[in-house]
Amino acid sequence: MPTFAEFQCQTTIDCKQGAVRAVRYNIDGAYVLSCGSDKKIKLWNPQSGLLLKTYGGHADEVTDAAGSCNSSYIISASLDKSIIYWDVSTGSPVRRLRSHAGGVRCVCFNEDSSIAISGGRDNAVMCWDIRTRRLDPVQVMKEAKDCITTVLTNQDKIYAASLDGCVRSYDIRMGELTCDKVGEPITYLAQTKDEQCLVAGCQDSVVRLLDCETGGLLSEYKGHKADDYHIECGILANDAHIVAGSSEGLVFIWDLLETNILQRLRISDNGGVVHSLATHPKRQELLFARRRDIYVYTTDIQIEEEQL
Amino acid sequence: MDEEEHLHRYGTPLDPLEKDEVPAKKPLGIEDQVVKDENGKRRFHGAFTGGFSAGFWNTVGSLEGWTPQNFKSSRAEKATPRAQQRPEDFMDEEDLGEFGIAPQGIRTRDEFAKESELEQRTGQRKRKLMQAPASGPIPGVPVLEQLLKPVKDKVAVRILKSMGWKPGQGVGPRQTKKEKQQAKTRNTREQYLLEHYGAEPKEDQQQDEAVVDADDDDDDEEDITFAPDDYEPVFYTPKENRFGMSYSGLNRDPILSKSSSASGANVMQQFNLFGDLETKSHPKKVTIRGQAFGVGAFEEEDEDIYARDDMTRYDFTLENKKPKQKKVQHVQQRHVIEGFSEDKSGVSSQKPFAIDLPRDFSPRNWLHRRSRFEPLAKEKIRQLEADNEYKKAGLGRHDLNPNQRAKLLGEAAISAEEPTKKNPFKDKGKSLLERITSKGNSFTTGGVITETGEEQPQKPKAIDVTKEVVQSNAAILEKASLKTKDLAPLAPKAGFKPFLADEAKQQRYEKFLEANLKDETKITEFLSNLQPVTLSLWDREMEKKEFIQAAKIYRPLAGLMYDRFVSEASVQADKVDSAKDAVPQETKQIIMERTKTMWKPSSLLCKRYNIAEPFGGAMIEPEKELKAKPKMSIFDYLETSINTKANFQTPTIIPKHIEKPKEVPPLPAPVPLAPPVLEASKSSQSIDPPPSSSKVTFVPKTALEKAVDESRDRPISEKVDLFKSIFDDSDEEQEEQVVENAVEELPEDKLSAMQAALGLPSTSTSSAAAVNILRNNSPPRGIFAALFKPPAEDQPPKDTPPPKFAPIEGNKLKISYKSREERLRNDKELAMADVPKEDLYGPKLPTSQQKIQAVDSEETSTDAKLQELLLQHGSRKRKPDQWVEKILDSSDDSEDDSDTDASSDSSSDRIKKSKSSKAKKSHKTEKLKKSKKSKQKSKKKSKKSDKTKHKSKKKKSKH
Repeated sequence: MPTFAEFQCQTTIDCKQGAVRAVRYNIDGAYVLSCGSDKKIKLWNPQSGLLLKTYGGHADEVTDAAGSCNSSYIISASLDKSIIYWDVSTGSPVRRLRSHAGGVRCVCFNEDSSIAISGGRDNAVMCWDIRTRRLDPVQVMKEAKDCITTVLTNQDKIYAASLDGCVRSYDIRMGELTCDKVGEPITYLAQTKDEQCLVAGCQDSVVRLLDCETGGLLSEYKGHKADDYHIECGILANDAHIVAGSSEGLVFIWDLLETNILQRLRISDNGGVVHSLATHPKRQELLFARRRDIYVYTTDIQIEEEQL
Repeated sequence: MDEEEHLHRYGTPLDPLEKDEVPAKKPLGIEDQVVKDENGKRRFHGAFTGGFSAGFWNTVGSLEGWTPQNFKSSRAEKATPRAQQRPEDFMDEEDLGEFGIAPQGIRTRDEFAKESELEQRTGQRKRKLMQAPASGPIPGVPVLEQLLKPVKDKVAVRILKSMGWKPGQGVGPRQTKKEKQQAKTRNTREQYLLEHYGAEPKEDQQQDEAVVDADDDDDDEEDITFAPDDYEPVFYTPKENRFGMSYSGLNRDPILSKSSSASGANVMQQFNLFGDLETKSHPKKVTIRGQAFGVGAFEEEDEDIYARDDMTRYDFTLENKKPKQKKVQHVQQRHVIEGFSEDKSGVSSQKPFAIDLPRDFSPRNWLHRRSRFEPLAKEKIRQLEADNEYKKAGLGRHDLNPNQRAKLLGEAAISAEEPTKKNPFKDKGKSLLERITSKGNSFTTGGVITETGEEQPQKPKAIDVTKEVVQSNAAILEKASLKTKDLAPLAPKAGFKPFLADEAKQQRYEKFLEANLKDETKITEFLSNLQPVTLSLWDREMEKKEFIQAAKIYRPLAGLMYDRFVSEASVQADKVDSAKDAVPQETKQIIMERTKTMWKPSSLLCKRYNIAEPFGGAMIEPEKELKAKPKMSIFDYLETSINTKANFQTPTIIPKHIEKPKEVPPLPAPVPLAPPVLEASKSSQSIDPPPSSSKVTFVPKTALEKAVDESRDRPISEKVDLFKSIFDDSDEEQEEQVVENAVEELPEDKLSAMQAALGLPSTSTSSAAAVNILRNNSPPRGIFAALFKPPAEDQPPKDTPPPKFAPIEGNKLKISYKSREERLRNDKELAMADVPKEDLYGPKLPTSQQKIQAVDSEETSTDAKLQELLLQHGSRKRKPDQWVEKILDSSDDSEDDSDTDASSDSSSDRIKKSKSSKAKKSHKTEKLKKSKKSKQKSKKKSKKSDKTKHKSKKKKSKH
């Protein structure tokens, strides 16, 4: 059981792109993507807070973004119903994929970034072939009854969380769709590193840990306030702590096993919803989005500095 | 000479040339003239040498000329994002100067600028809006002024216009004719007086003037009103000298120079393009200066000895100058403020009564803001304290939660006693008042109950307050109960009495209501007990219905209310309960439900995930909704022509005789009981063709081919048959076909039998035929005729299905109709393809039939795999080996032509098949003799296979 070290604020970045809709790490956690309500995506260095690049081309708020496995491409989802595949270095959109009938809420790459998976307000999950120039989705999954809030994938499964209270996992290997009904609208879904469990942030202010194998509810984490916000949750790199934002400017970190609150981070004194967060893929580092700012929290500032 | 005085000159006159003098210098040529700025730099260059002040010579002062801005950014000094470029960035100082293209300076905007300023600025004089009609040689408004109108008005003018003002009018309320005239004279007079005395006219003067002037209106048209006249505003000239009032001494300026005359206005009026056409020729003023006669010592002194008279003040006609009665009234009216009219009712205005203000009233300026920290008035403090006393006592609205308050009000008892009944009004047995009174009683006994639930000895203050409340409440309740006492017994059945006419009935109805029965049978029972025996059965039934209806309609109001309203307290209590529930809601169990269903990942998805397709890709896809092409393109229509799936009619049209052959094949099979064996043998046979057969081998042209080639070169006139065969009414052909099919059936049977015997796949040519018949055979119309001509290659096989024996010439012609590339390809195919065994009599097998021979198990289509799976699961006995492919074929057969537009998988499948068929054919060439007919067939087939190949290529290229 790893011991818990308190998180401290390392950097605060004012993104200057309207409200930040989502923050995401790239594959190795060296860079940060922020999706703004000003239709732009910005690439940051989280340590220095340096703006590296701005990607503009969406026609509406950007809701989600993900970097490819080699960090040379970005895929982004927007409420303009399109997904854009960006070249990181040139900042130009390589491909614009349009098939969703509603705004796209979430997007992710598969392991080798050959397939992009998106979920939208049209209740559809779409798989896009990135390798070829095909402009229509490879596959569309329309099983969900409500807006798709998160899509995840691992080596052989695609997970889609929906506001209809279900987590659907599409097993490619088995050719099987498993629908786990939680009953509460799920606003966000995260996966443990061992791919055994899912962390589902629910609308009823509870973060639930689901077992992938059996579909059982392993534990619940409470204390934060979700209200009507799209609150994201996450699991830290050590698979021992669960983190979730809250509507009153707080962030809660729970112990995965004990389900007790380990730390209550006050991101800001004057409110604001901490709706988006990202966990560093390797280190004990967290990224939060509140209003127009990004906050980088880390446990070991000294080490960081040494590394730099 | 005199006239020259009035001429004006512009510019400085040149020195007059001496007559003898020869100009020393040559005048400068235009090309040599150089415009220089104040610094002596050249201002303009030629268009090719840099244009306006740009270029190499005199830009930013450096020899390099313009250097681009360079971007610098370091860690310490971050580059600031460049602000938007402004035109000023590209301007010189002189451009911004007074005479530059963008002069700088603070000034009013054009729309607000004064006229005179604008004039100065723009160099033009704008129309004077308030100008009196000019007195020039041309009467009326100056022409130029009328022609050139300002583009936009000033703000004030716009406002005025929006209020109904028109240019040329004055401002103010509308006047009658008389008033207008009065005003006019008044104005002229005022003007005059002002000019001469520089002071306001005296009141009495005005008065009598008005009296004098106003007499000439005879018509009393009070209704018609006019806009007031406009008049030049009076400008007061400040006094700058120490002379007496309005004294202007002798003009010190030289007589001839007019420019320096005293008044500034005159200067401007000297010459005005937009003013009068001619400079004012000063009319000879008929003025009499001073007074004609002196004042005697005994005479009364004149009012003003300095008055200057002019002729307007003298009468030239004899008129009755007596003021009329009306005039007096008008004069009186002059005292009334403008915009008001005199009250003629004669009612004396009421005397305003003094308001007695409160003694401690202190007027306050509400605009003056008070400091938050200013000490409050003592009384206010006292009042505030009194108001908030209950808060101190802990009885504030927010100090207690609803439960506590409910307890305080005695409602807690209810929720405690009857927790099941959430709505206290639901028990209709008790009357409302009873319950209220009971609560009222509890008020008196109520006290402060602390959170712990104990009744504590209250603090004196709290006691006071609560007691007061309780007592007052009790008093009110008592009163209320007294007042409603009489009503109380009525309340429950106070409802409408629908059957008052029949008393007995009414009574029965009331009883019925009391019984409050729901079940119909019970009601009949109940009523039958009540109803008199005399009533007939029908009457009884009617009464029952009436009662039920009446009960529904005339429900007592209270009852209605009971249902609809709930006391607020109880609602709050409910809420609290629910809130309470919500907190321990954590116990609310989330029951996870897991459902599993089949889901077919697309093959590409699997490929990308590096996962083998589940079940070898043989899963059933639930729906092919995505197959519909998401994007529309004209090329789709061009490529797929008419034979898309969507264009096919429902199978009801399929003629019966075509379906027969389908059923036929199993029948003639000699050993129908052992299909596996048969199939096995087939497969073994089908493997036979050597794999090398896929090689393309060139065979020299046959006689027929040559003939065909010849026919290509024939003139069009000879190709009439061709066109006929293409565009002729398809009905005939179909009929023919039918006949032919009927004829062919026999041979076909034979054929199938033969094939069965030989171990060849059974032919079901019918499928192709059926498909062909289902096609839209009508000739293309309109633009489609043109559109579909190039792919006309599609049509011949359509119109002439494989089983049909078409005349050779026709066929030839058809071939000749094709495009050149197509022909070439066909030749090749012809060369490669071959005729089936000569001993096989009858139509050539369609290509689809021959694909079967593709043996590679990997190449089985999804359908085949599916079939395989089915078979595997269905009958374990059968060996799941090669024979399956046969079934695939038959199944394929039915679909084959129908889904030419099907998924890429199936099409790719088909290529393989066609390839294999080709291979087979070429293999056969070597050993088989060629017959004309069979050649024709093979040609067609090759065409077809070519087509499919083509298509599949296209599809592949798409990916």
